[in-house]
Amino acid sequence: MINKELIRIFMENASKVAAEPFWVTNLSEMNQILAKILENDTAIYCPNTTELEKSVQLDPKQLVDTFMHATATVEEVVAGIAETGSIVVTSANNRAVQVSLLPARHVAILSASNIFETLDDFFNGIGDTIPSNITFITGPSRTADIELTLTIGVHGPEKLFIILV
Amino acid sequence: MKKSTQPCRINFRQNSREALQNNSLRHAMRYATDTFRDKRLNGIQGVPFEEWRQRASDLKISVLENLSGYGDQFAANATRRGAIVHRAVDAAHARELVGDILHDHGAIDVVKAKSMVTEEIHLNKYLDDRGFRVIETDLGEYIVQIAGETPSHILAPALHKTRHQIGKLFCDKLGCDFSDEPHVLTNTARKVLRPEFIKADAGICGANFFVADTGSIVLFTNEGNGRMVTTLPPLLIVVTSIEKALPSIKDLPLFMRLLPRSATGQVLSSYLSIISGDQIPGLPSGSRRLHVILLDNGRSEIADGPHREILKCIRCGACMNVCPVYGTIGGHAYESTYPGPMGVILSTLLNGLERSHPLLDATTLCGACSEVCPVKVPLLKLLYELRERRVEDGYAKSMERFGMLGFGLAANSPFFFETGQALAKALWSLARLLSPVTVNRLPVPTDRTFKRRMS
Repeated sequence: MINKELIRIFMENASKVAAEPFWVTNLSEMNQILAKILENDTAIYCPNTTELEKSVQLDPKQLVDTFMHATATVEEVVAGIAETGSIVVTSANNRAVQVSLLPARHVAILSASNIFETLDDFFNGIGDTIPSNITFITGPSRTADIELTLTIGVHGPEKLFIILV
Repeated sequence: MKKSTQPCRINFRQNSREALQNNSLRHAMRYATDTFRDKRLNGIQGVPFEEWRQRASDLKISVLENLSGYGDQFAANATRRGAIVHRAVDAAHARELVGDILHDHGAIDVVKAKSMVTEEIHLNKYLDDRGFRVIETDLGEYIVQIAGETPSHILAPALHKTRHQIGKLFCDKLGCDFSDEPHVLTNTARKVLRPEFIKADAGICGANFFVADTGSIVLFTNEGNGRMVTTLPPLLIVVTSIEKALPSIKDLPLFMRLLPRSATGQVLSSYLSIISGDQIPGLPSGSRRLHVILLDNGRSEIADGPHREILKCIRCGACMNVCPVYGTIGGHAYESTYPGPMGVILSTLLNGLERSHPLLDATTLCGACSEVCPVKVPLLKLLYELRERRVEDGYAKSMERFGMLGFGLAANSPFFFETGQALAKALWSLARLLSPVTVNRLPVPTDRTFKRRMS
């Protein structure tokens, strides 16, 4: 059961922190949006391990098999938090959390059923043995270290797209 | 109170006089503290801030009551997850531990994420002297490092520098074309630092919190350098201090809501990393070793004493941004790792009155700091208490002591008081000649005194 109100709050809060959320109802819509977002990327990394990642259809010429020098990453993330507009990546199932960090553009695919209403909801369901790395991502990389002028895209991605499926 | 290890007294008066002459610094500080203050006010709108800060305060008190217990529990759980936990009694011990760990792993190139505790123990200079190559990677810290300076604000270390100065600095030190566009400068730093992250032998960072029940380290960052430092090099050393314990991972949401809002007005910082144990997939260089150093450096003693509530502090910087003194003179005048109201108190307790007592003048006792603190540190009360302590321990100036003694005598006797008033009036012109700067700041004595008007 998908809670539309929760999705609305998530999308609103994600937009507030300069992430760019999309909501699609089927996989072909997802691939249309991916094609559009990633039109100009020449080196896209996709871990290709989850069901949703396996449904990603991109031009094979655009794809690369390591993230170190990729221009963009497409991956499924494990959770979204409506309260903050954050997405969550973890090292569980041998996933590399760096894939959402090194490329300048991060495209996160989020199953709408994995949206938690609050931070507490997420931590209450986290279990006893937590992954060695849990990272909350709330918008793109940013700094205000030079005269407090907000600058997007420092060491991490300058663009964060979230596709809700 | 701790015996001073740096007996050289802070010359706060001279420092603040110099800061007041520096117009560009004053302008930058005013703009910055105003901006942070507005952002914070926006950030806490529409949320039950009072309820949150009370809960956070209660929780931090419970932590202070069992500091060693939470330290032990964290150590046990982190060790179970493969981390190696060290305890450092003081700064020298912590520095040596870091140096020895790096040496044992054959590490030379080190990337650092922003950490106030490593500033407190003067780690960079020590590591430089031992031949390690340490690079700060937070943009503000990087600017300050290549300029050979120290941070002026705990959140925005290069606050005191203009974009023009930073542009020139990059031009001189990095050999790039001059630009004073923040976006261009940021991009330059990204390009220069990216290969450093990838080739680094080790990363060093601090922690905003450590979690006892999961053995986790928690790091709030915005730029992404903190994530680089903690996930790319094959060795990670986390240096943190013992009061940053949280009992449970379930306590984290409360502080996730309080810290970024109080610091920058953000709902949450761009990145929040929770690191538990040493294995991390995706490394180009194989798995990562994780060392955690828990620094005491006088904190156990503070936790057992009357001023322990300063250890509730979560380093958000809100007290600095509302402080009229800090907002005018900036961080450098304090000659201490931690400036502003919390810094005055913590520095005095960590370094001793001998060195730090002049900092106790860095307050108007307006109490704005106490009002904004997200964990309800009674900053105003602590400032009062330490100022009393300064008088008791004989650090107050003799002029001040005799002046107060004299005023006490006069205020207790109508005759002496009126005589004093008459004398002040009679001698005013002379005093103005002798010490114009001081005397001109005081209100001029009047003929129509309060008593005369009432009778």
